[in-house]
Amino acid sequence: MTVAVRTQNLPPIKLIRNVPKEEYYVPGHRTCAGCGPALQYKLVAKAAGPNTIFVGPTGCMYVANASYLCTPYAVPWMHSQITNGGAVASGIEAAYRVLLRKGKREGELPNIIVMAGDGGSTDIGLQAMSAMMYRGHDALFICYDNESYANTGIQTSPTTPYGSNTTFTPPGSAIPEGKKLFPKDPPQLVIGGHPAVKYVATASVAYPVDLINKVRKALNVQGPTFMHIHAPCPKGWKFDAAKTVEIARLAIETGMWNMYEWENGEYKYQFRPKRYKPVREYVKLQGRFAHLSEAHIAKLQAFVDAKLKAPGIPVEVPAPPPRAQA
Amino acid sequence: MAKEMMLSGCAAAAQAAKLAQVEVICSYPIRPYTAIMMELAKMVANGELDAEFVHGEGEHAQLSVVLGAAAAGARALTGSSGVGVTYAFETYSPIAGGRIPLQMMIADRALDPPGDFGSEHTDAMSCRDQGWIMGWAENPQEAFDNCLINYRVGEDHRVLLPQFVCQDGYFVSHIPGKVVIPDQSQVDEFLPPYALPHPLDPKHPVSHGPQIRPDQGTVMNLQRAQAMLDTPAVIKEVIDDYNRIFGRNLSPFVEEYMTDDAEIAFFIMGAHTMTARHAVKHLRSQGVKIGLVKLRFVRPWPTQEVAEVLSKFKAVGVVETSTSYGGAARGGNLLHEVRASLYELPQRPLTTSFMAGLGGEMVPLKDFYYMADILSKAVKDGKTKKTVYWVGFEAED
Amino acid sequence: MFNIPKGKEVPLGCVTPAPVTEQPMMITGNWREYRPVLEPEKCDLCMNCVVFCPDACFQLDEAEEMVVLNEKYCKGCNICIEVCATDALVKVHELDFEDGVVRLEKPF
Repeated sequence: MTVAVRTQNLPPIKLIRNVPKEEYYVPGHRTCAGCGPALQYKLVAKAAGPNTIFVGPTGCMYVANASYLCTPYAVPWMHSQITNGGAVASGIEAAYRVLLRKGKREGELPNIIVMAGDGGSTDIGLQAMSAMMYRGHDALFICYDNESYANTGIQTSPTTPYGSNTTFTPPGSAIPEGKKLFPKDPPQLVIGGHPAVKYVATASVAYPVDLINKVRKALNVQGPTFMHIHAPCPKGWKFDAAKTVEIARLAIETGMWNMYEWENGEYKYQFRPKRYKPVREYVKLQGRFAHLSEAHIAKLQAFVDAKLKAPGIPVEVPAPPPRAQA
Repeated sequence: MAKEMMLSGCAAAAQAAKLAQVEVICSYPIRPYTAIMMELAKMVANGELDAEFVHGEGEHAQLSVVLGAAAAGARALTGSSGVGVTYAFETYSPIAGGRIPLQMMIADRALDPPGDFGSEHTDAMSCRDQGWIMGWAENPQEAFDNCLINYRVGEDHRVLLPQFVCQDGYFVSHIPGKVVIPDQSQVDEFLPPYALPHPLDPKHPVSHGPQIRPDQGTVMNLQRAQAMLDTPAVIKEVIDDYNRIFGRNLSPFVEEYMTDDAEIAFFIMGAHTMTARHAVKHLRSQGVKIGLVKLRFVRPWPTQEVAEVLSKFKAVGVVETSTSYGGAARGGNLLHEVRASLYELPQRPLTTSFMAGLGGEMVPLKDFYYMADILSKAVKDGKTKKTVYWVGFEAED
Repeated sequence: MFNIPKGKEVPLGCVTPAPVTEQPMMITGNWREYRPVLEPEKCDLCMNCVVFCPDACFQLDEAEEMVVLNEKYCKGCNICIEVCATDALVKVHELDFEDGVVRLEKPF
């Protein structure tokens, strides 16, 4: 099988002043004021440029962006089910391969980007995401992580941190911490198990230049790539909308979010603090953690400390106490 | 030069897909439709067919992959059987409502529980409300024909609907029959290249499927209803063209067999039609005034044609190989649609449902003689004794 | 054929045109309580407000060498005020402005 020719080489940028000016995620969308996912979408769209097709599984970045009968995407975009972002993107990529090969389309394989939430990547969308990685389609799968099923009114997802108050994990006398489970680690789900994947990266709205460069690198790589982007949610996490970027920065400074790239088996870290701030400083600013006791915060700290030893090592989570003793 | 081959329904469908020059195929294994994919895989591997053969991770994924591919502008094909068909259920409405023509070949299989490889129409029938074109093949030749016919109908800009192209598992999918394979040039004359009005193309950006308000919901439904209303005229045009180019004599909606002066008739679709024809022929030789009407399309349901043809008879036995538990007829679904078609007629034939072949059981000639007997008795009595007979399982009355 | 009342139309298959520079069917300027106001003499064109606005409401006017707010869409989240490197942005109550609170004829 002939491989689609890709000459595209999106260049990295050095400074915020060099952020491309053209908007492909334009003003006029119904996302919350201060929406982290909207901010990352804008930056991703800038990084990718006009030769791009977005697949939008159901979630905040579908419903809030596409109400009503209009979208802010200046490039082609298609709604998919929350279950199948990876599969629909695979089909688009396969179509472009054969259409270009047969001369029915001209030019290059466009950037194909799945913009899936944490649920659409690691939960109900996990199967399709993994299969896209396995089959080697030349496309980028982005998990924008607002750590909940936000669109449906903030319910727990596999990336919701331990101790979060969500409408499916409300704290109460029987379950004081709210969420008892520890989260999945999306990049680690991809790394090491999918031979065709050559590049995986985490990013954050706190560092837009880094985000843009990682997106461009991922798009330049031939084959499937995965990015996990931290996108704080003022409504779900219960903080003032103006603080979105500050919260994102604090997540990195406390170790609740880790910035790294994995490329051909090697890890490279970014923005790793010399000394991590205690998670308490992150937790106290967000209403979703307001109910936590010292014991709960200690558990969360222990989990973060274990994860920080190195990405990819299995972390033993503290076992929850039997119900009678709670 | 057209050539004649002995092919199973699966192999025939694969030959048709090759001549249709499908561009993206998404596979996933489940008995009995898998054979279609195995044939296509061979064709792609040895360069006979230039297509992307994507290994889907499940049936829901299969439909999702071909949705993306067809939305991007490629002619796409997938398929499944039994619970695979129902696993993909979420995707059917988005595909039809998004007006993305693509084809799904269904080799019918009984639904779980438990595992049963035999053929029942319930798998596809349970999707009949999703807005797809749907119809059955009687034999491998029709499995071949229906692939090409449905691509042309579905891709017509007056229609733009996806198609369920169904054939009974094992009875059609695996038993060989005579199939005439035409030339590529004939197929090219019949089937133009796929051209979706608004594909996903960075040169012409569009947004596929933004959220709508509830008060716009009915409008979406009306669009889809209109598409179904416009489809029969296109089916007629397309089948006329098919007959002309390939030298055939297919009737677009209902096909009659020995119906002249018939008083009773079977109304049937799918594989067991073949046995029913033999039964009718034999009964005719015994002097029974019996005929047969075969249904080609379940969606769009040809209400007028069904009413016209069945009004000729005094009693009609609707032979069904699908279930609708708790439905008005307490049997299958075809009887509901037949009775609805007949409702407005000043003179309606008696109708009753015969549940036959469920689970993939054979339907031997004697079962058809049993059904004919009941119909003859009904004509004599001027009424049917029951709404539904589960053939082979009724207590003697 | 059916009679579709005005305002309820939906394009075929729900395929809508893509916007080019803005999406006027979703004006959000009427959401804000506070409007960010620039003190130009303090601004050193760090571009933080332009980059960090989720709604792309600050853009650089190259001719004027100044950043300009898109009042039609600004939701008043105030991220720009937080990230401004030189404290050149302050938040002012929307109702204090004569053209305060963008009025729309109907909600959507």
